[in-house]
Amino acid sequence: MRRGILIVIASAALVGGLLACGGDGSSGGGPVTLRWFIFNEPSGAPQKIAQRCSQQSGGRYEIKFEFLPSQADQQREQLVRRLGAEDSSLDLLGLDVVWTGEFANAGWIEPVPASTAKIVSDKVFSSVLETARFEDRLYTVPIWSNTQLLWYRKDLVPSAPKTWDEMIDMGEKIGRTKGRIQVQANRYEGLVVWVNQLIASAGTSVLSGPKTVKLDKAPTEKALGIIGRLSRSSVAAPNLTTSNEDSARLGFEAGNSAFQINYPFVYPSAKSNAPEIFKNMAAAQYPAVDDQHPVKPPIGGINLGVSAYSKHKAEAFAATECLVKPANQLEVATLGGLPPVREDLYDEPEIDKVYPTFAQQIRESIKNAAPRPSESPAYQDLSLAIQRAVHPTTQIDPKNLDPAYDKLRKNVEKAVKREGLL
Amino acid sequence: MRQRGPGALFGTSLGLFVVLFYALLPVLWLLSVSLKTPATVSDKKFLPQDVTLDNYTTLFDGGLDSPLLRPLINSISIALIATVIAVTLASFTAYAIARLDFPGKAVILAGALAIAMFPPISVVGPLFDMWRTLGLYDTYLGLIIPYLTFALPLAIYTLVAFFREIPWELEQAAQVDGATPWQAFRKIILPLAAPGVFTAAILVFIFAWNDFVFAITLTSSDSARTVPAALAFFTGDSQFTAPTGNIAAAAILVTIPIIVFVLIFQRRIVAGLTAGAVKG
Amino acid sequence: MGVPAVKKRGRGGPKQTSDRTKAERKLAFLLCAPAVFVMLLVTIYPILYAIVLSVQKVDLRFPEESGFVGLHNYKAVLTSPLWWQDVFNTTFVTVVSVAIELVLGMILALVMHRALFGRGLIRTAVLIPYGIVTVVAAFAWFFAFDPSSGFVNSLPFIADDKAWFGDRGSAFSVIIMTEIWKTTPFMALLLLAGLATIDEGLYEAAKVDGANAWQRFYRITLPLLKPALLVALLFRTLDAFRVFDSIFIMTRGSQDTESVSILGYNQLISRLNLGLGSAVSVLIFILVLAIAFVFVRGFGTATPGTQGEKR
Repeated sequence: MRRGILIVIASAALVGGLLACGGDGSSGGGPVTLRWFIFNEPSGAPQKIAQRCSQQSGGRYEIKFEFLPSQADQQREQLVRRLGAEDSSLDLLGLDVVWTGEFANAGWIEPVPASTAKIVSDKVFSSVLETARFEDRLYTVPIWSNTQLLWYRKDLVPSAPKTWDEMIDMGEKIGRTKGRIQVQANRYEGLVVWVNQLIASAGTSVLSGPKTVKLDKAPTEKALGIIGRLSRSSVAAPNLTTSNEDSARLGFEAGNSAFQINYPFVYPSAKSNAPEIFKNMAAAQYPAVDDQHPVKPPIGGINLGVSAYSKHKAEAFAATECLVKPANQLEVATLGGLPPVREDLYDEPEIDKVYPTFAQQIRESIKNAAPRPSESPAYQDLSLAIQRAVHPTTQIDPKNLDPAYDKLRKNVEKAVKREGLL
Repeated sequence: MRQRGPGALFGTSLGLFVVLFYALLPVLWLLSVSLKTPATVSDKKFLPQDVTLDNYTTLFDGGLDSPLLRPLINSISIALIATVIAVTLASFTAYAIARLDFPGKAVILAGALAIAMFPPISVVGPLFDMWRTLGLYDTYLGLIIPYLTFALPLAIYTLVAFFREIPWELEQAAQVDGATPWQAFRKIILPLAAPGVFTAAILVFIFAWNDFVFAITLTSSDSARTVPAALAFFTGDSQFTAPTGNIAAAAILVTIPIIVFVLIFQRRIVAGLTAGAVKG
Repeated sequence: MGVPAVKKRGRGGPKQTSDRTKAERKLAFLLCAPAVFVMLLVTIYPILYAIVLSVQKVDLRFPEESGFVGLHNYKAVLTSPLWWQDVFNTTFVTVVSVAIELVLGMILALVMHRALFGRGLIRTAVLIPYGIVTVVAAFAWFFAFDPSSGFVNSLPFIADDKAWFGDRGSAFSVIIMTEIWKTTPFMALLLLAGLATIDEGLYEAAKVDGANAWQRFYRITLPLLKPALLVALLFRTLDAFRVFDSIFIMTRGSQDTESVSILGYNQLISRLNLGLGSAVSVLIFILVLAIAFVFVRGFGTATPGTQGEKR
């Protein structure tokens, strides 16, 4: 038996050794290999446009993929480790919109050269460009965007509510078996999105400068009040404190909800997973806080960064110029349902096919969007601080908002100064 | 095993059943989730309403480049190699500590413990830098070495505890009876050491098998990535959809090598004294 | 290998010839050297590096601000109520889960040892929870208990929309249940191996002497299990204190269920504040060492002494 074990181990080692022998072949002369570090977008859209651009480059470069884990936190961890080690094998980086300030300040990404900046910012939404800038310079190239809409059941609700309070009223009238409202309120980045947009829609903002806290009292308390009211309402989802985009989608597809706030991925998902619900699904703008202040929907998406340690920066920037060409943006939208960053593309018929009946909703949403306070390089601290202050949202008492406000303000101030444990 | 009355038989059968139920219920739940379609994965029922094998077949799409195949091979190889080396080294050390007299025993034991107790998350950062410099990043050896380091303390302590219990004088007695030292060692000592050695082997294997922190930090491609790390790369239908079915299916599949390994090794965790018949 | 040469133990008694002692020591060092070398190779640099970082102000996102700050980071951690809260949470989870695992593990080991049939099957089945990838196991439990996806709420006597993770008490219960399910096999395995080394003859003799089952257990089994028991307890406690995956996946530390490991992760990875994060790591390390010290001193676990014979 011992011999048996030894044979097994030897074979395993042999097989493993053989397989591990797949080193990367960097060719001398010929096209430069650009390594694009990004999560594996399930639709395969990045691969398609990368292949196109490699071909169109006329032998100048070839884009190869190095996949990152599927979750944003883990992607960031991998990137930070390698950039921190000044790894020269990274060229193109697929960055979440909130990482720009952090990566730029750390010196990990190369500012976009003026000529490229002109090309890639042409006709791009200003809200999107805001997420790509740090200290008034463009550091990343927006490639696709994302935003949240209000999805509702048109068989249960005559017309879409315009404000959060209206929506909660409507839901409560329908009752908790069918009238639930799905949001994202787990202790993670999604919660920060919700809080941030409510604060912005109430007329104030978290920061008024990279190091200055704003959070005007009255509007912030209004925003917190809405969060508290929804969380304590009878139509809040029972798993509210652990809810995320996926659970919101599932809750809506299960048929017990009349409203959900979510990204457009829920549309094709409902089409294939819950056709009965899909028949009655409609989209509207993100709800406002009140009618005095314009609504500020969330903005997400991916920006392309070029690593400061890359050996092929010129080729990398040339590649970004190609990757965000209108034809490629349309390809990404068609394959992956990901909204383009150029406003003029929303007039194209392809976009109507991807987002039947709500293409203009998406356009308006991105146009009016307010980014999270990512101009601060300490954004992660801010995010943690806000999460800690606000979660669980059921703790916020709509009738007594001062403690909630004080807690939020205190945490944010600590985070901006980056002191203490979070 | 002794003859028992019917009461004992009932008792042990009941105990058996309870044990199996307790151990396997969550596993059955995982199995059930792995058989559910994306539309029904959250239907809150224990049994799947719509059974599908898609979650399993998609794991092997693409042959050697499939999401699971190469990581599985990596996991098995790395865990096996780490186990063999760890148990060997730990046996040497434990033998020395249990039987020989030398200064520094306390230091080795205390030091080993201290080393294993340092939070891995602080260790992976500098280790990442070290391995990149030494060229061990994304290799088998790059994972085997940390696994050895963090499994050796457990293996050493386990083996010391068992080696201490072995009546070493039996060996002398056997030699007096005419056996050669090697025969004495093989026929008396080894069977007595077997429970400890195979226990240590199982523990080390499972440790290497289950590790996530080192695997995800010290690998960057399928060359050396193990299964726990590979799970982090699974994708659902969209960026926001969790690949629940796939992950459950992968977890179930990946348990099979464990079952095989344990089935083989647990047989050796048997009373060693009865085999030697050296009582009294 | 010099195995046969120095078989005879060097005991206290009459002083051995210095030649033998020297040969014994040389052999001992030879035997221990590989393991020691491997352990040090990997950890010396990282541990020293972490200690050095902990006395500096280092934030990867702000590379221009770095410098030696002495014990500032430690002060920041130790004066933070968040740290002490997490230490309490971690200790609570550790004590409760290890205590239950001890009892459960003992029962499991006895069942596995005395089973009349299907021993291989039971032992393997019992070890499966330990062998399932940790993050998936935690996720499976989460998925089962979460009101939006799990079957637990459809069980009788449980409210349909009970938010298990919305309340500290129930969240802790699920977390502890997961930990127990996952790691009791570890305890049971070590105890089983310990049971396997006990001479059956002792039980026979005791029965002849009129001892009942409980007395046999208390006076024969337990004392003879002591070495295995203590190793199991020591390592299990030290591991339990560093709980991360279960809590992170289920509540991400919210509802005041955060553990010290999650705190360390937040500082080190999320905030990239290496100085503060390393201080947290070093403090965790010190706490864990203190626990080990208590075990070794208090219970005599694997006390490295000159004694070769036990019983």
